[in-house]
Amino acid sequence: MKSLRRDFSSSPQSANVSSKVFVRSTKSGKVQKIVRELYLRQDIPCSSKLCSICYSHAPVDADGVGKDAKNTLVVNNADLQSVVPFILSDRPAGTKAFPGGHYIVPDTNAFLNGMDLFEQPGAFRDVIVLQTVLEELKNQSLPLYNRLLALIKTDENRFYLFFNEFRLETHVRRRPEETINDRNDRAIRTVAKWYREHLHQASRNGKMEKAIPAIVIITDDKENIRKAREENVPALSLLDYVAGLEDSDKLLDMINESKEGKGQRGELFYPEYYSMSKILTGVRAGTLHQGTFNISPYNYLEGSVSVSAFDKPLLVLGRNNGNRAISGDIVVVEVLPKDQWKSPSSKIVDEEAVTRNENPEVEDHEAVVTEREQKALQEEVKKAHGKNAEGKPHPTATVVGIVKRNWRQYVGHVDPASTSSLTKTGRRQQTVFVLPMDKKIPKIRITTRRAADLLGQRILITVDAWERDSRYPAGHVVRSLGEFESKGAEIEALLLEYNVQYKPFPKVVLDCLPSEGHNWAVPANKQDPGWKDRRDLRDRLICSIDPPGCQDIDDALHARPLPNGNFEVGVHIADVSHFVRPGNAMDTEASMRGTTVYLVDKRIDMLPPLLGTDLCSLKPHVERYAFSTIWEITPNAEIISADFTKSVILSREAFSYEQAQLRIDDSTKTDDLTQSMRTLLHLSKVLHQKRMDAGALNLASPEIKIETESELSDPLMDVKTKALLATNSLVEEFMLLANITVASKVYDSFPQTTLLRRHASPPPQNFEGLSTQLQKKRDLKLDVSSSKSLADSLDRCTDPKNPFFNTLIRILATRCMTSAEYFCAGAHAEPEFRHYGLASPIYTHFTSPIRRYADLVVHRQLAAAIGFSTADGLSRRSKLEDICKNLNYRHRNAQFAGRASIEYYVGQALKARGERLAKHDGDGNFGVDEEGYVMRVFENGIVVFVPRFGIEGIVRLEDFMLPGDTVRPTTDARKELALRRDSDFDAEEYTLRVWENGHPEPESSAMFELFERVRVNVSSVKEESVRAVGKRRVRIIVLGKA
Amino acid sequence: MAPVLQASSASQIPHFSPAELSYLYTSLALPDGSIRPDGRSPTQFRPLTAETGILPGASGSARIGFADGTQAIVGIKAEVEKTVLPSDTLDLRQLHLQDQANYAGGDDADGGRERSSATTGQSSWVQMSIEIPGFRDDDALPVFLSEMMRESLVGSAATATGGTDGESRGKFAGLKGRLVINRRWHWRLYLDILLLSPPLSYPLPLLSLTTHLALLSTRLPKLKSKKEEDPLFDDDWNAAEYLYPRPSPAYDSRMGREGPSHQLVRPPVTLLIISAGDNIIFDPSREEIAVADSVLAVSIGREDEDPKANNAKLKLLSIRTIDPPSRLTQPGVPDSENATTLAASTSTTADEVGSQNPSSTAMGSGEEVPGVWRPRRGGVKRSLISRMVKMVLEKGGVGEEVMEGLEGVEVC
Repeated sequence: MKSLRRDFSSSPQSANVSSKVFVRSTKSGKVQKIVRELYLRQDIPCSSKLCSICYSHAPVDADGVGKDAKNTLVVNNADLQSVVPFILSDRPAGTKAFPGGHYIVPDTNAFLNGMDLFEQPGAFRDVIVLQTVLEELKNQSLPLYNRLLALIKTDENRFYLFFNEFRLETHVRRRPEETINDRNDRAIRTVAKWYREHLHQASRNGKMEKAIPAIVIITDDKENIRKAREENVPALSLLDYVAGLEDSDKLLDMINESKEGKGQRGELFYPEYYSMSKILTGVRAGTLHQGTFNISPYNYLEGSVSVSAFDKPLLVLGRNNGNRAISGDIVVVEVLPKDQWKSPSSKIVDEEAVTRNENPEVEDHEAVVTEREQKALQEEVKKAHGKNAEGKPHPTATVVGIVKRNWRQYVGHVDPASTSSLTKTGRRQQTVFVLPMDKKIPKIRITTRRAADLLGQRILITVDAWERDSRYPAGHVVRSLGEFESKGAEIEALLLEYNVQYKPFPKVVLDCLPSEGHNWAVPANKQDPGWKDRRDLRDRLICSIDPPGCQDIDDALHARPLPNGNFEVGVHIADVSHFVRPGNAMDTEASMRGTTVYLVDKRIDMLPPLLGTDLCSLKPHVERYAFSTIWEITPNAEIISADFTKSVILSREAFSYEQAQLRIDDSTKTDDLTQSMRTLLHLSKVLHQKRMDAGALNLASPEIKIETESELSDPLMDVKTKALLATNSLVEEFMLLANITVASKVYDSFPQTTLLRRHASPPPQNFEGLSTQLQKKRDLKLDVSSSKSLADSLDRCTDPKNPFFNTLIRILATRCMTSAEYFCAGAHAEPEFRHYGLASPIYTHFTSPIRRYADLVVHRQLAAAIGFSTADGLSRRSKLEDICKNLNYRHRNAQFAGRASIEYYVGQALKARGERLAKHDGDGNFGVDEEGYVMRVFENGIVVFVPRFGIEGIVRLEDFMLPGDTVRPTTDARKELALRRDSDFDAEEYTLRVWENGHPEPESSAMFELFERVRVNVSSVKEESVRAVGKRRVRIIVLGKA
Repeated sequence: MAPVLQASSASQIPHFSPAELSYLYTSLALPDGSIRPDGRSPTQFRPLTAETGILPGASGSARIGFADGTQAIVGIKAEVEKTVLPSDTLDLRQLHLQDQANYAGGDDADGGRERSSATTGQSSWVQMSIEIPGFRDDDALPVFLSEMMRESLVGSAATATGGTDGESRGKFAGLKGRLVINRRWHWRLYLDILLLSPPLSYPLPLLSLTTHLALLSTRLPKLKSKKEEDPLFDDDWNAAEYLYPRPSPAYDSRMGREGPSHQLVRPPVTLLIISAGDNIIFDPSREEIAVADSVLAVSIGREDEDPKANNAKLKLLSIRTIDPPSRLTQPGVPDSENATTLAASTSTTADEVGSQNPSSTAMGSGEEVPGVWRPRRGGVKRSLISRMVKMVLEKGGVGEEVMEGLEGVEVC
């Protein structure tokens, strides 16, 4: 029997056809062999400005628009061609090793380990990014891939994406028995060789006298370097390359810490993760559970994972069970056997307090759970096995795998305790700990040569890896933000921490603004297209009521009597959608920012100020475009009809809440405007009552505001709790009404794609804790069966001796609830649309399009619903769901950032006060004596809320003033005091008794219970040897019962 | 069965005159060895060209072309599928237990039936479709062919499965045993067999050889998950593993002298053998089949995985007789019965003729008249069959030769 095989090598086509074969596993479990054919070409340019060969036959742009004005090369028919301009410089920078200039060809690992380096402006220039590398990067890390793409898009660093796999000369066929990695390495070397030869040839052709740049491969793969050397291609490791650059100290710090090939050394502290397949099998079978890992803000050793299978989150106790998960990661957990179940901790455990004296350099002797940590945990177990209802053991779980790391860049500072004193001056590389600002993040080990410089600075760091043999995650410095407490650094830290986009608007965005700028005005001629379908409402007596000093006026109102005795009430909202067209750069930017972020003395706008504070803003005495909702309302606030229209309005006045109140109260004023405001006020009160009757909740959050106008006075005096005037409620009621009316109108038109806002009913178990506490301490019942009953029972939660008690309970109740969220109507069933807090069956955001992107989307949807515009681009549910997801995230972060900013401001104000007092009185303790309320009781401290400043803080044993103490505990004495104090915690009664060692007598001990009013001293202190070394912290000292 | 068989052979009715048939038969049945029309020796196969991996998108594929221009292409595609078990309740605890590697035995408690069906595979996992130009897919020929080839592919387990203890499962379980991933997952194999031209001769050997080659070249993505986990595969196709392991180069050099490297597990191959008189002829051409006394399809395969075992012999998987088309040919008329020759003879013999005639018509071809074609009546002697089997299976026999020849085709 003879067998013959056809020979393909003789085929003329075979040279430029290749294929790529791989296995694709689909989500549905299918496994497919995929074959992609590649047709190799020779016209892919090298993009070097030195090269004339490529330029003459590079592919021409499809759009035919010439972009090569910049290009200095003159080609005969340049006017016909519109070749994408070449990127790589003809005079690339040189280094010591490559004085003639060089182009860089990094491999995938170089990007994986040093993306921060490549992003550093000016550090890496003339980089040839290979398609092979880009694809490999995409498989390994999507975020890094996106960052690299962004880098390629920017011009100044000259990154060129070379499609080496498609070019005949540089395409590499995988050899039999060759691993993918080896093949890719070979591809990189092939490119380097080709570039060199190609440029040589180009220079011969072009009789150029310029030096040919060296083509340098950057790889950390030793084998690759060796082979490259054999093939006479210059190759360097990233480390070696960077060491040859200027400013190398700073750059070297940015290299990813996780070195590949670092053999497993020492002990493995953490259990290995399950294999991906095991995790998938387990999750599908329901024996493993997936959820987001969260760390308790009070105890860094206690994490929890909410999984869909159970109502209550699973506890993850201790580092071992946490198994290298960082708060925010999506993890897979396995429930532990019942004998390991524990109750949540009743103790405050701070990472820095427990692990203060660890040495980052020495790792061989450390255990995952240090002895001290172990002890802290054991004590809890003891308590857990105790008695009371709250202390029932909860199911615990252990992390067995990580589905997605949600690591971001963290702001932190170097723990000075971890820097060795010897090297503080030297430039030697050393390993130090960085304590992130976010307490839920463990400390991060970084290697730096600039430890001395970084001390006392706020720095931005990235986590690179957390290996099994390392107790803490490893990371590297990205950059320094500046000195502690310098305002710039702190504010930037805050914005970075909450991922607020604070860079100025890029030019593409500003290009979308009307060309008239501030001179833009409503066209006088009604025939102008701007007037099309717009109703002229300039005759209505419209006014706006806002906080004082408000510049971005979103809304204005009017009311006028109708002949039939009813009223016409109009709510007019800035017509932002007129200026921000869907899909343009400004729209994309706004959708990304999601919301305007208000900090104490800074506003980070969602839209460029030209729009926000001028063209859109419904300023008084100027004609403006608006989107109006007009109702006919009876005097009993029954809605007869609602109408929506784009309009042109002329606001008569812009009031502050106070001014409006004064005007309404001033009985001498009887002009139409005042009258209409009175009508509005009256109607709003009826509306409010109706809403309350329907079960709307009066919620409370510790809101204070800071007025920064008065520069002379004590800054503390600027801190005010928000005063509520009737006019606040006036505006609020009509905005709610507008939002609800618009929501149902849009929902009628787009039942699948309406952007709505809902507030899910909180599951009753959320209130369990608070409910038991109230029952126990005040004999009050919390009825959570419906929002109405909850509202009623909250109303009953009063304490005649303690007027703030009710607010305190409301604050706590609010925390038990889920947060409201944007969603796309198709994502939930209609009964789920309900807004629990507002007791409305449907709700959306319509009234603040200047500062919220959601409102802008709703504007567009409403415009489409009333036939003003087409529904283009609003109909894709998946896109809307993405928008919703981002908006929810941005809103939450904006809130956090705002609160953090206030906290910072209060701290600074307290500090200023302390310093001023110090000048007068010498040393001592300088704080403000205030009233506080016990919010939570722990085994070794209490949490006190100070309404005056809207802050809450942990009070540890050493911060109590005991009866008999005459001097307030000073900062210096804390350590010593901490050892002398003893406490007794009653988990059933929520009490904590504190006494000095050996003096447990009732008369010399202090007893505190939940909800109690206490006298506190609030001051700002400099922390020492803790997380915030050299950083200020608001310290609260309990002086005694109030 | 009868109409099927008839149809399958009817399609093959040769259009030869009785004289031609007789000539062919006589030369094939010569007592001192056949003389084949194309001059081949009785065990010699027709030359063929073969190649594998011709369909890049398939898991395995092959093409074989005979010198007469008939060609066949076989493409094989594998899909992951969940095994439906009587009780599909896998406790993950079990999974852990199995991870301890001490899985062998111990848990027979949970139903031997479930286990055996999951570990030995089910014949429905192999799906075969045959397309022959000019035939509908429910015509007798393709149906019969596919059943015959499938039988040897999936049926081998029943004969070969000796012990089902954990250690040896999969090795003796035949093709379907190879498709088991774990107790809950398996591969489903689709064999698409395509004859490119209308069949000139009975296409079974061509299709069988091509299928064999395609199976040899079939690769399945490499499994990354372990044991009872939901399967997860390596996305590197180069890492994919052969369904039938290939001889490793290292093994070749080491074992090269002692035993040929092909002594590995091989998919079955079905050979067509005819007998003419006492002669046995392999790989018959169309003309040869037309006059065969009997036509047999003999399937052989090798299922022993231990390369060192010298008893790694070929195994007979099945024998099927195929209705010989010669049965339906027109008989030749001997001179003695021919009217034209009869007329020339004297009337004195009329009585004899008259007495002979009824018997000859009743008997059809009662006696052989040399040089006059008689349609074959089928049937084959026991000793002849055992000789055939011996020729196929013996060391250095035709079976080995065929396997070796197929092995020589470079698999990619």
